Formats: sequence, structure tokens, C-alpha cells
Amino acid sequence: MLQILVYGAVISAIYAMLSVGFTLIFGVARILNLAHGSFYALGAYAAYFLTSVAGLPLLPSAVLAVLFVAGFGVAMERFLVRPLRKSQLAVLMITLAVSLAVEQALLITFGSEYRNVPSFVADKVTVVGVDISGQRLLALVVSVLVLLGLWLFIQRTRLGAAILAISQDPEAARYMGIPTDRIFSTVMAISAGTAALAGVLVAPFLTVQPSMGLLPMVKAFAIVIVGGLGSIPGSIVASLMLGYSETIVAYLISSSWTELVSLVAIVVTLIIRPAGLFGRRAAF
Amino acid sequence: MVPLLEVHDLEVRYGKALAIEQVSLTVEAGEIVGVLGPNGAGKTTLLKAISRAVPARGGLTFKGEDVSALPVHEVVGRGICHCPEGRRLFPELTVRKNLELGAYLRRDRAEIAADMERVHTLFPVLRERGSQQASTLSGGEQQMVAIGRALMGRPALLLLDEPSVGIAHKLKMMIFGAIEQIRRDGTAVLVVEQDAVSTLGIVDRVYVLEHGRVVREGTAGALKDDDYIRQIYLGV
Repeated sequence: MLQILVYGAVISAIYAMLSVGFTLIFGVARILNLAHGSFYALGAYAAYFLTSVAGLPLLPSAVLAVLFVAGFGVAMERFLVRPLRKSQLAVLMITLAVSLAVEQALLITFGSEYRNVPSFVADKVTVVGVDISGQRLLALVVSVLVLLGLWLFIQRTRLGAAILAISQDPEAARYMGIPTDRIFSTVMAISAGTAALAGVLVAPFLTVQPSMGLLPMVKAFAIVIVGGLGSIPGSIVASLMLGYSETIVAYLISSSWTELVSLVAIVVTLIIRPAGLFGRRAAF
Repeated sequence: MVPLLEVHDLEVRYGKALAIEQVSLTVEAGEIVGVLGPNGAGKTTLLKAISRAVPARGGLTFKGEDVSALPVHEVVGRGICHCPEGRRLFPELTVRKNLELGAYLRRDRAEIAADMERVHTLFPVLRERGSQQASTLSGGEQQMVAIGRALMGRPALLLLDEPSVGIAHKLKMMIFGAIEQIRRDGTAVLVVEQDAVSTLGIVDRVYVLEHGRVVREGTAGALKDDDYIRQIYLGV
């Protein structure tokens, strides 16, 4: 029981970090970013490259990896997505193309074998009587702190107010003097950066290989559909629901059944409540 | 003396459809200028073209400077604040946050606080409603927030798009009164309206827009006596 509680929390936190960035860039810039999983994979590979190939210490590697992917996301939005923004379909296609290109680039550069990233924390820790690797606990703590920080940033700062304003009425936001394009870049950096951080944090205990971004992408998608596309509280609640459901299924049935949970969640949500738990309107 | 705003031969197209053409007008500092016209005459398009929210051809000069190629946020920075049609509040934010967003480009905290006080004096009900979500307000109160929010940018020129539409008579009178107060505080106003009677009561000059063109212009006094205006817009 307690094991489910602790392990479920770790998975939920990682899912939350992934899906909040995904839902944020949609809510603000209406970009349904199918390359979001690539940011996660790029984060993990950047961490692998910087630690194992370049031989840098862990912390600077992690920071550089996140910054690199944030920059990659900003460049993608600026040069590939922005010219196509008028068409939702074109945006969907170009981000899908980026995700395929990233996967192939990783395959060509690093090969298809699994790569290892050293743990930030090697020791095992006991929490409420449950043994857990220090790395998983670190992933949980960092995710929660980042999400809290993001929430404070959005609620308390001027830039955060601009983000909220654009997500509620982009045209009115422009009349306030908010430079919407610049805000899109900022949000893209946050979105790509948090996805990369998730990739960096899980790299030591998950397999790092070129297609590792696909499954998290599906999960993030399921979560924002359940939570309501564009809603941050919705994606956090849905992350907890999905993270715990998967953990429970893994314990009670088998871990090979967990991938089904997100797909069932999508189908059930779309039938019962197409707008999602916190959504203002149906996303599709 | 250069006018505050000078619009010269403005033309806006939506695809192939011509929304406005050959529209020229001026607003002097301290003036209230009205734009009257039926639905679809191009009034909203005219205001959007002035704040650069839609692409337009023609001359656009503000305080003697060419602003015809600036992005929207820089136009706001120069001192043109747009209170759009349909109010367009940020529905899930509080009234206070909506007002604060109007001052987005400003850093002068003390002056922002003074302007907040001025908006609260102009519309006292907004002080009580400060922590309420904007979407919970009545239509008239929402219009006050929208005007107040635009004033928070401390504009030299305020663009008002149909401030009285869908509002009870008493609140409408209050809003027209507020527009006169805004002018007394030193802000020029360009107001687009369908309610010709109320508008002619507060403006200095009027342009009448039909099918995207200016068909009449003149002082409020002169247009009140114009036969065409009396028949079509005043119904007398």
C-alpha cells in the first residue's frame, strides 16, 4: 500500500512536469506541440552526452541540458511554428516532423543502444517505511518544487499576469501592450525546459534511447485531455490520477498493462466529458 | 499645430472584401470625436486599424510621428489605448488584476497607483468589486472595467468601441458622463457608437461612416441640424 503511495507520487510528479509544459504552450499560444516528447528525450541525451562523453559534473550538465533544450524549443517556435501559426493543422504537422527528425538525429548520432546516465543521488532512502532510490526521490522533490515555482511565477509576476491574460484573450492582451510574440518565446522556453528537466531527472533510472520521448508524449496527451487542454490545475490533477492508476495497475495486475491506462482514460474522457475535468470547452 | 491623431486615406481589406477605404480623420488633443454608423459600416475596423491590430494601407500619424508600421504593443506604448468591442475582459482574473494589466507597459508604481485611484473615483463600484472575478460582473460594470483598464495605460488618446451597447439606460448615462470626465482629465477620446443621440450630446465633432467610407463630418452642432442625420440617425 505505502509502496503504491510513494512510487505513484514519483510518477505523478514527472507526468505533471511533462504535461504542465505541454498544456501551457497550448493554452497560451494554441500550439499543440507533438514535439514535446522530443524535448524530454533531448534532455536525457544532453545529460548523457555532457556527463558520459564530455565528462562534466552532474549539476552543470543538468543545467546546461535544460538550457540547451529550452533554446531548441524557442528556436523551433520562432522559425518553424510561428510562420505556420494561422493553421492549427500545419502546426501539428511541423511539430510532428520535428519530433521525427529529433528521434532520427538521436539514432544517427548515438545509435540505438541504451545509454546510462549516472544517478545524482546514489543512496537508497527510506520514506514512510518504503525503500526508494535517492534518484527517484530527487525527481519527486525537484518536480514538486519546479511546479510550485511555476505556479508562483504565473500568479505573482508581471510576466505571469501577461501569460494568464494571453491565455484568456490574446487580442485583448495585445491592447494592453503585451508583446505576445515575446511571451510565446518565454512560454516555449519554460515548456521545453521543464520537459527537458523531466528527461534529465528520470534518465538515471529509465532507459535512454532514441524513441524514449514517444510514450511520455502519449501520457502528456492523455493527461491534458483528461484534465482539460490548456488548464494547468487540470493537468496536475490528471497527472495524479494517471500516475496513481498506473502504479495501482502495475501492482495489482502487471506492469505490462499500465500503458493501457492512459488510452482508456482518453477514451472515457472523450465520451463522458470531452472538455476534460477543468476544460472550458471541448478541445477537438 | 499638428493634430494628436491624423488618419489619412486609410484602407483595410479582409481577403478581397473592402472593409474601409479612403477614410481620413483627425483628433485634436483634448477633443472627443465620435464615429457614427450602422452595423458593418467599418467602425470597429477603423479603430483596429488605428491601434494596428489589423493591417491597413494609408497614413497613420500620432503626435506627429508615423505609427503606421508599428506592432500593437508599441502603439499602446506611444499612448493609444484601445477599449475593444464586447469589452474583452480577462474573464477568470479579478477586476483588480484586469485593471493592473492595463498598466502592463508602465513601471512608474506611484503613478500607476494614482491612476488606479482615479479609475476608482470615476467608477466607485469597481473598488468594491476589486477581488471579484471579472466574469461575475454585470454588463455595465464590465464596461467600466474595460474603460478603466484602458485608462490604466495612461493614454493620450482613448479608443472606445461601442461602450454603450447592451447596457441599461442609467449605466449608459453614467458611462457617457465618465467619457466627459476622462476628457476633462486630459485624455482625447475617439468613440465609435450606434447611439447617435447620446453621442452627439458629448462629442465635439463627428464622422459618419457608411459602407466603409466617411459620408458626413462636422461639429456635433452642425450635424444635429443636418437633414440626413436627423432622418437616419436621430429619427426626427
